[in-house]
Amino acid sequence: MEKTDVVTRLTIVFKNVFDNEALVLKDDLTANDVDNWDSLTHMILISDIEKEFEVKFKLKELNKMRNVGDMVDLLLQKK
Amino acid sequence: MVFTSLNFLLFFPILALLFYLTPLKWRWASLLAASFFFYINIKPVYALLLVGVISSTYLFTRLIDKSRTEYKKSLFMVINIILVLLPLFFFKYFTVTNNAIIQLMESRNLHWPLPEIKYMLPIGISFYTFMAIGYTIDVYNEELEADRNIGIVALFISFFPLILSGPIERAKNMIPQFREFHPINYENVAAGLKMMLWGYFMKLVVADRIGIYVDVVYGNILNHNGSSLLIASILYPFQVYADLGGYSLIAIGVSKVMGLNVMQNFKRPFFATSMAEFWRRWHISLITWLTDYVYTPLSFSLRKLGIWGIVLALMMTFMIAGIWHNAAMTFVLWGLMQGAFLSFEALTYKKRNAFEKKNNLNSNPLYLAFCMIITFILFASSQIFGRAITIKDSWMVFNKIFTDIDGAPYLDLTTLSYSMVGILILFLKDFKDEFYPGKFSFFQNQKLWIRYCSYLTFLFIIILFGVVGGNDFIYFQF
Repeated sequence: MEKTDVVTRLTIVFKNVFDNEALVLKDDLTANDVDNWDSLTHMILISDIEKEFEVKFKLKELNKMRNVGDMVDLLLQKK
Repeated sequence: MVFTSLNFLLFFPILALLFYLTPLKWRWASLLAASFFFYINIKPVYALLLVGVISSTYLFTRLIDKSRTEYKKSLFMVINIILVLLPLFFFKYFTVTNNAIIQLMESRNLHWPLPEIKYMLPIGISFYTFMAIGYTIDVYNEELEADRNIGIVALFISFFPLILSGPIERAKNMIPQFREFHPINYENVAAGLKMMLWGYFMKLVVADRIGIYVDVVYGNILNHNGSSLLIASILYPFQVYADLGGYSLIAIGVSKVMGLNVMQNFKRPFFATSMAEFWRRWHISLITWLTDYVYTPLSFSLRKLGIWGIVLALMMTFMIAGIWHNAAMTFVLWGLMQGAFLSFEALTYKKRNAFEKKNNLNSNPLYLAFCMIITFILFASSQIFGRAITIKDSWMVFNKIFTDIDGAPYLDLTTLSYSMVGILILFLKDFKDEFYPGKFSFFQNQKLWIRYCSYLTFLFIIILFGVVGGNDFIYFQF
């Protein structure tokens, strides 16, 4: 799967979870940059990404994730 | 030795002097020696427990690092967590469990009393246990390597400013600082002393003064009317804020004097406009610790349940937080209330967000002030369970507040007026920092005379109005 495909599909999930149509994903985007991206919505986001990409994350992988770029890389590895 | 004791006021300048006279390479050793001296001064035998927690954590984190398989790594992590939790569980929950078993057996007419053991809870045990667990999990998660020097690990777990009541620091922040000390820096010393001064003001002038009124009223709920209980219940959150917030600031200031940066523990909590925001501003080191090491694994394992998985994880996390405070039904309810508030906010977020956007409320000062008051009321009502000893007492407080409000309140005018002035000064300082950061500075003013007049004023306020021989820090009991 190409990186652009991952980002496009990921953007749809993000827009839906954070209820923000204007959201644009960048590699260095972090939870601090997005309204309402807190520890509660984070797990809903993770669960929705797992469903969208049909993958399973490990907790250790999540703990190491620092920004959207890390998430995209991890998805590319898993697909 | 506690921060408010005369011993500490003698100990700290001598320690700071010795610390700065020690060569950079050996400063970790001088701090470690000071930390053990500080802790042994409280009750020597409990230092053995501390040594046990340090040794176990050192050994198992090294084993985690050396293990090749995921199975072994997680096994060593779990063993260490269980080992370091054992003393905490024993001291905190043995008596309550023992009593429950005896009651259960007696209700079945079985008389087989187990010996009653009443040990004093080793002071600080929760805090250093949490730091040891955090370090173990961080090493397992490969967020940092297990330190090879047991002295550095020992210093992290026993670091004297934090050991009694936090902030519950992370190895990722502290260990690199313990590995590389810096020469004395005037800015750090001055910043640290200013924090300590404000911390002492919060504790001695505000918290301990409020404590006098709250203790009198909550000490005899039966004979006080709803008006007095309402005043005491409104004052109590301010007391805890000034108490633990003041303690934390002294701890952060003491560390800063030695050039060490410790995380913030309170961030003007009463300006939060929701409970979620409140918990990002109140006892930050405990909440982020619980988020990382309890809530995240729980919500991760429950994520298939969607939003209800989050709700369940929240409820369980705050239940654990409650039971950690005290193994009593009051704190179970306290935890459930926090979980319920946060769950309600999470479930209604989208609707509230749309409503606020539609009516342009996010920049409306009246609406924000309304939200702050509601948040305060919610927190203050949960704290009734935190302050009353039993569930029966808590219900009595609620009942009296709603039904017995006509009578004149108990008025200890000196205590109440000093408390109100203290809260007002604290509120104005927080208000300024929240809405006008960098303006109207006293301790940070450009003009030297304003700065020094401010230091002296607060020093005199502490000496003149501080409560001498007042309460211990509230969180020492946890």
